[in-house]
Amino acid sequence: MPELANQADLAHLHLLLNHFPTIGTILGLGLLLLGFIRRNDHLTKVSLEVMFLIALATMPVYVSGQAAAEALKGQAGVSADAIALHNDAALGSFIMMEITGFFAWLTLWRIRRVGRPTAGLTYTVLVFAVLTAAAVARAANMGGDIRHPEIEGGQYSGLFGAAAAPGSGFLSAAGIKDFVLQHPFVWPTCETLHFLGMSLMFGVLMIVNLRLLGWLRGMSFASVHRLLPFGLIGFGINFITGMFFFIAASEQYTQNVAFHWKVVLLILAGVNYLVLTVYDEAWALPASADAPLPGKLLGGSALVLAVGVMYFGRMLPFIGNAF
Amino acid sequence: MLTSLEQSAFSTWLLSSNSIWAYPTVLTLHTFGMMVLVGAALMIDLRLLGFGRGIPLQSMDRLFRVMWVAFALNAVTGTMLFVADASKRGPSLIFWTKLSFVAVGLVMAVLIRRRNFEASAEPVVISGAAKRLAIVSLLAWSAAITAGRLLAYVA
Repeated sequence: MPELANQADLAHLHLLLNHFPTIGTILGLGLLLLGFIRRNDHLTKVSLEVMFLIALATMPVYVSGQAAAEALKGQAGVSADAIALHNDAALGSFIMMEITGFFAWLTLWRIRRVGRPTAGLTYTVLVFAVLTAAAVARAANMGGDIRHPEIEGGQYSGLFGAAAAPGSGFLSAAGIKDFVLQHPFVWPTCETLHFLGMSLMFGVLMIVNLRLLGWLRGMSFASVHRLLPFGLIGFGINFITGMFFFIAASEQYTQNVAFHWKVVLLILAGVNYLVLTVYDEAWALPASADAPLPGKLLGGSALVLAVGVMYFGRMLPFIGNAF
Repeated sequence: MLTSLEQSAFSTWLLSSNSIWAYPTVLTLHTFGMMVLVGAALMIDLRLLGFGRGIPLQSMDRLFRVMWVAFALNAVTGTMLFVADASKRGPSLIFWTKLSFVAVGLVMAVLIRRRNFEASAEPVVISGAAKRLAIVSLLAWSAAITAGRLLAYVA
């Protein structure tokens, strides 16, 4: 299979995409605050959609960062410590970002059901978005330090205080890698959970999208909409276990064309899921009615994308080089 | 007999062919079937346990058809994968544990359908017995997946 991107392309992609999380979170946060001030639910909804999309966009930022680190390894004027510090900060902010994205999605899902943003969930998103903005700005700042020779050896004392030694923080990519590789039970356990999460996610996708396609009748779209959080729980399980695989053996994935396709399709599937969650025409669909053509296209593409993600995941060892 | 199965021309092709259409495709189809079969079963189980109450039970009946088609696919691909590795899988306790849990899951599906889907009227409340079947089904499929995954690492 022809490659999508080589190591240099991925390093380049990282430089291109790495501004999205910082700018996007601040933008989303600004819209959310504006929604509060103007008491405009529509603005609040848009801000939540932005935050969910930014959470999706952060996935390729993190994984391409790993490829960029490999490309930079051993180059003169680049501090390995600075990379490790940025990696740990990036991982922390990535996790925060995904939690924010999850709550943003959950709030959108509730809005669809009750007709307005509920206070508890909206404030939860606000708090996580503020924390994420801080964490992601810190990670971005440390990323910028990688190409600054004056900070070599971690002597730098910047806006966010003196840099700590790599791995000394609460979260460390190297620590997670050691944990996975030193305990033989971790990988098979994560694999098992990954397959269970996949089945749960696909079950939800199947019922919702087969309904849209018109093959499952007799259920209103609103009634199957109730099951959407289970799909996201399945995705959450797979995101966490998948990150364990990626962090423990990133060299198997960064240069793996099957993995590249998997990430691309996953992001498209995520966008599809967002549309499915907020889609007005589908929501109004009574039990016996046929979905309009856009709804059918949405349902069909969701299933194709989900099967594609599974296909490239399963093919990681065969098309690519993962075990 | 297991060894002769394993040494058949078919097994040799499946295992040693470098074609993407051999082992990788059979394995992927097996994963696809699993995802569809277990995914459909989980949705019915969740509905019986009280999630998505707005979905009429009868309207989920078609999912059983999905399950049987997916099971047929996995019976075929599973047999192919077994034949390729017969001498290793044959005596493996984990392998037979997996098949037992698959059998339990299928029996649960049949019982759930017979007791909740064949009535002419929509049940008003889901009985405790139906919920117990749903829980057994959830556990059986989870256990089958666990054992199946472990086959790749332990057995």
